[in-house]
Amino acid sequence: MPYREKTAWLSLIAMAVAFGPYFAIVEASSHSRPSGASLRQLGLFAVAAVVQMAILGLGHLYLNRGSPGEARTPLDERDITIMRRSISFAYYVLIGGMILVGCVMPFNSSGWTIVNAALAMIVLAEVAHYGVVVMSYRRQA
Amino acid sequence: MEGSITNRIRFLRFQNGEMSQAELGQRIGVTRQTIAAIEAGKYSPSLEAAFRIAHAFNVPLDEVFQWNAKGVSSKQT
Repeated sequence: MPYREKTAWLSLIAMAVAFGPYFAIVEASSHSRPSGASLRQLGLFAVAAVVQMAILGLGHLYLNRGSPGEARTPLDERDITIMRRSISFAYYVLIGGMILVGCVMPFNSSGWTIVNAALAMIVLAEVAHYGVVVMSYRRQA
Repeated sequence: MEGSITNRIRFLRFQNGEMSQAELGQRIGVTRQTIAAIEAGKYSPSLEAAFRIAHAFNVPLDEVFQWNAKGVSSKQT
């Protein structure tokens, strides 16, 4: 498996491990609004962000140790093509999500619901980005 | 116009002392995986990379890559 594909898988795993439980907890506690909910939300987000960073940091260290030569190799034209394709796809996911969150949701939602929906769209766009990278390397395209 | 690009990289590698994909990749500045993708016809290289490949084998470009147009029969002379 190419090094770039491994790093894309790592990013997908980090996202799933960090933000899967985050959104599950947010959804589970969405009906009750105890006092200090904002602080709790911020704390939860901080934990998710730290978990993601830790997985990415340790994962990259492990992958770099496994194939130091490949890790140092600059992107070639196919890598750049795959990167452009994935970013372009993720852009449309992100822009669609942001239109939904910014233009539609304010009419029927507020506060943390909108913040978390925006965060979900960013995560979704990132998943789309790395998903396209993985798919492209899998198909050798 | 529809068509497909075919290549003779595998054959040319064989002719050049069974040159490895990694070695060819190193010569033209791409990864082994990119050479594998080009060879399998899954990825069309840039014009520059195509010329570099031809140069690595010391042959003209059209000996490495061929364009096969669909539905166009070649003229008999």
